[in-house]
Amino acid sequence: MARVPRAAERLVAAALRSAAERDMVLGDLEEELPRRGRAWYWRQALSIAWHASFRSSSTVPATSQQGDSFMRTFVKDVRYAARSLFKRPALSATVAATLALGLGANAAIFNLIDRVVLRPFPFADPDTVVMLSETGRGIEYRKESVSPANFLDWRTEADTLVDLAAMGWWNANLFEKGDPERVQGFQVSASYFDALGVRPALGRAFVRDDETFGRHHVVILSDELWKRRFGGDPSVVGRSVTIDGEPYEIIGVAPPRFAFPDGASLWAPLSFDAKAASRRDNNYLTVIGRLAPGRTFEEASSQMDIIAARLAQDHPDTNRDRGVRVDTLTRGMMDDGLGPILSLWQSSALIVLLIACANIANLLLARAAERRREIAVRLALGATRARVVREQLTESTLLALIAVPPALAFAWIALYFMRASMPARIIRFVPGFESLGPDLRLLAFTLGLALVTAAVFGILPALQAVRSRVADGLKEGGRSSTGRQWLRRGLVVAEMSIALPLLVAAGLGVMGTNRFLNGPQGYDPDGVLTMKVVLPERGYPDAAARRRFIERAMDGVAAIPGVERAAITNTLPAGGSNASRTLEIEGHPAADPNDPPWADYRTVTASYFETLRIPIEAGRGFTAADREGAALVAVISRTAAAKYWPGEDPIGRRVRIKKGEWMTVVGVCGDIIQDWFAARNAQTLYRPVAQAPVASFGIVVRTPGDPTAVGGAVRQALLRVDSTQPVFEMMSMRRLLSERTIGLQFLAAIMTVFAALALLLASVGLYAVIAYLIAQRRHEIGLRMALGASGRVIVGMTMAQALKLTLVGAGIGLVLSVALSRVMEAGLLGIASGDATIFAVFAAVLIGTALVAGYLPARRAAAVDPMTALRSE
Amino acid sequence: MHDVYLGELEQIVLLAVLQVGDDAYAVPILEEIETQTGRRLARGALYTALDRLEKKGCLRSRVGESLPERGGRARRYFAVTPAAVRALKASRAALQRLWKGLEALD
Repeated sequence: MARVPRAAERLVAAALRSAAERDMVLGDLEEELPRRGRAWYWRQALSIAWHASFRSSSTVPATSQQGDSFMRTFVKDVRYAARSLFKRPALSATVAATLALGLGANAAIFNLIDRVVLRPFPFADPDTVVMLSETGRGIEYRKESVSPANFLDWRTEADTLVDLAAMGWWNANLFEKGDPERVQGFQVSASYFDALGVRPALGRAFVRDDETFGRHHVVILSDELWKRRFGGDPSVVGRSVTIDGEPYEIIGVAPPRFAFPDGASLWAPLSFDAKAASRRDNNYLTVIGRLAPGRTFEEASSQMDIIAARLAQDHPDTNRDRGVRVDTLTRGMMDDGLGPILSLWQSSALIVLLIACANIANLLLARAAERRREIAVRLALGATRARVVREQLTESTLLALIAVPPALAFAWIALYFMRASMPARIIRFVPGFESLGPDLRLLAFTLGLALVTAAVFGILPALQAVRSRVADGLKEGGRSSTGRQWLRRGLVVAEMSIALPLLVAAGLGVMGTNRFLNGPQGYDPDGVLTMKVVLPERGYPDAAARRRFIERAMDGVAAIPGVERAAITNTLPAGGSNASRTLEIEGHPAADPNDPPWADYRTVTASYFETLRIPIEAGRGFTAADREGAALVAVISRTAAAKYWPGEDPIGRRVRIKKGEWMTVVGVCGDIIQDWFAARNAQTLYRPVAQAPVASFGIVVRTPGDPTAVGGAVRQALLRVDSTQPVFEMMSMRRLLSERTIGLQFLAAIMTVFAALALLLASVGLYAVIAYLIAQRRHEIGLRMALGASGRVIVGMTMAQALKLTLVGAGIGLVLSVALSRVMEAGLLGIASGDATIFAVFAAVLIGTALVAGYLPARRAAAVDPMTALRSE
Repeated sequence: MHDVYLGELEQIVLLAVLQVGDDAYAVPILEEIETQTGRRLARGALYTALDRLEKKGCLRSRVGESLPERGGRARRYFAVTPAAVRALKASRAALQRLWKGLEALD
C-alpha cells in the first residue's frame, strides 16, 4: 500500500488555516491514496495549496487581521505579482530565460573562483596552514625557494608555527610487477601530514626518526596509486617496493582524494646527509606549517623576520639580502596568472548580466507603459506610491527567483564541460579544479545575485511607473512621455557599448590562441613524438652511465621502421620547464657584474636540429665527432649572437658557464619559441649531450605520418635498453603545444561564449526597443503611407533610428575596447596585442548584427496597412 | 438570508451535494461532478468552494466517525441548507425566464 508522502501532507497542512478543514482534506486524500498512488497525492496537494493561497482573506477572522498587516500585504503582493506574471507568459518567460543566461554565467565563474582560488584545498582548517618562502635576489618562484639549512634553522627556532615541513619534488621511478612507471612523488618532512591535518587511511604517517639519513627508505602511497597498482590490497603496508632501483617499505596509504601537492602519488621522508643539510645556496624546497594555537599570522610573520635577520648576520655570504615571506597556503600555492584571468572572467560575466538587466528593464518599461492607466487609476483611488513601487519590486523579485533553477542548470552544464575539456595532467596542477560543481555556496551566491539583479532591473520601471502625473495617465490614448523613451534608448546604447569590449576581448583571445597553436614556432612541430625520461641516481650515478643509456636509446629508436630521426634534449620546447645558465663571453666582460649575460641552456644530441628542423644559419651543427674528450663546442641561437656578439661573427669565439671550461662557438641556429608565455626567441646556448650528459631529458622522434603510431615501438625499444626505466608523458608535439596553452584556450573559449551572449542580448534589446518605438509611431507611419510614402522610405526611416543608436553605442564601445585591450596586454604578458583592424572588424560585426535586429521590426512597420493603422485610434 | 448570488461552480457543487444525498463528502461529490458535467474539477477548487459555501450559509457540515483508512481522521459530510435550496430554485427560475421564447435554439 502506498505510504502518505509526508512532505505533501505538510504542504497541505500549512496551506489550510482551519484545523477542521485540514482534517477533512487530509482524510479525503488518504482515503483515496491506495487507489490513486503517490504521484496523484502530490498533484492534489499542489492543487489544494495553490487554490488555498488564492482564497479571499475575508475568511480569516477579523481579530487576526490587525498586527499582522505587513505579512498580509506581503502575501497579497506576492499573489498579485504571480498573477500578473502568469497573465503575460511570453514576456515572463523571455525575461526569465534572459536572466537565467546571465545568472548562470556568473554562477559558473563564481564556482570556478570559489573552488580554485578561495578554497582549493580540502584540508581541515585551511586558514591556519601557511607557506613560508625565501625572498631576495635570484629567487624566481615563491614555491621552491628555501634552502635545506635555512629550513632546519627555521624549524628549530620558530615557536609561532608548528609542524613546519619542507617538501621537494621527486620524480620516482616505481618498478612493480615488471612494469616501470614514473610516478609523481614528493619528499616531505615528518610533520608534513600533521601540518595539513591529514591522517593516513592505512598504516602510519612519518615520524621524525624516518628523516634520519639511511633510515629514510619508507613511502606512503596515494589512494589512487594504491588502488591502481596494488589492487587496493590492505596488506601492502609493510611490503617492500622498488623505487629508483632501491627497496622502499610501504608504511601507509593516504586518504582518498588526497594528492597534495600537484597531484602527488607518493611521499617519502625528506632526508639530508650532512653535506646537504648545511647548504644555504640551494633553494629548492617548499616549506609549509601551521600557526601555533593562539598565534596570529602577523606574529608568525614578525618572528620569521627576526629569524631571517639573524641568519643574514650569521651567514652573510648566502643570506645577506634574504627575507622570509609568510603566506596562507592557498595564496602561496596559487598560480599568479590565475587571479587576473578569473577576475577578467567574472567581470565579463557581470557585464553579460548587466546587459541582461538592461534588456529586462526595457521590457518592463514597455509593460509599465501599457499599465500606466491601471496604475494611474489605482493612485487616483488612493493607493500609496510606496505600495505600487513595492508591488512592482515584488514582481521583479519573483521573476528573478524563477530564473534561479534554470540558471543553476546552465551553470552545472558549463562546469561539466569545463571539467571534461581539461586534460587530467593539467588538472592536477590546478588544485580545486577537479572538485568543480554545484554546492550550497553556489546556490546562496546565485540566490543573492538574483535578488540584487531584481533590484537593479526592477527599480527603474518601478519608479517610472509612479513618477508620471496621474492626470496624464488617465487621459485616453495618452502616449508615454519623451523622458521614458530617452531612458529606453539610453539603455540600448549602454548595452551596445559594453558588448563591444567583450567582443574585442574574445577576438584578442582567439587570435592569440591561434597564433600560439598554429603560428610559426621556429621549429616544425608536425609529425614529432615527444616523451620524457628521468634516469635515477642509483642506476646512473655518473656521466658515463648516462651517456651509455643515451647512446643505446638513440640507436634503438633510430632503428624502428617509420622513424626518420630521433634526438634528445634536456628541455623540450613547450615542455613547461626551462634551464638557463649565467655566461661569461670571452672578450666581452659583463658591464654590470650584478647583471651578467645569460642564456637558455640546452644539451642535445647531434641530430636535434634536423629532427626538429631548426635551421643552422651559420657555421655548423653538431656531429658525432663532438664527443667526450673532443674540443668543447657550442651552437648559439640567432638572438644570442646578436645580443652578445653584436656586429661580429661569433663563429670561433669562446664562451663559458660560470668558471667552467671554455667552449668554442661552431654554429648559429634559428630562434625557437620555447615557451609562449615566458621565453619567446630567448637567447639560447646548445651543447652536445655527449659532452654534458644529463639525467633528465626529453626525446623527440620525427616520423613521416602520425607520430603516435610509433609510440609503442619507441617504448619497447627504450625498455630493451633498461627494462626498469619508465618513459612518461609520451605525446605528439602538437598535443604538447596544445596542453601548454590550455589556459589560453580556456580563456579564449569562455570569453567567446560571453561575447556571443552579450552580442545576442544586445541585439535582442535593440530589436525590442525599435519594435516598441515603431508601435508607438504606428499612427504616424500609417499617415505617412496614406500620404504616399513607400515602404522603402518607412524602412529607411526606422533603420536610421536603429543605426543612430548603434553608432553611438559602438562609438562609446570603441573607447572602452581600447582601454580594455591595454589592460589585457598588460595582464596577459603581451600575448593579446591588438591592432586597429580587430577593433574595426568587431565594430562592424556589432553594427551588422544591430542592423539585422533593427531591420526586422522596420519591415513589419512598412507592411502595415495604412487604413488599419489610422483606424486604430 | 437574502439574495444569495450563486456562481456557476457553486450551483454545480450544491446540486452535486443534493444528488449524492446523505453521504455527501468531498470524494463522492467530486466524482459526481466529474461524471455528470464531464469536466475535470481541480480538487483545490472544490475545497475552496465548499469552504466558501459553508461560510455563506449554503452548506452545513457534520463530522462523522474516525476511520482507520483515513489515518484516524473523520469524514465531513455536507448538506444543503434550505436557504441554498431557495437560492438554487431562484437561479433556475431566472434562467428559465431568460430562456422563454428561445426554444428555437434547442
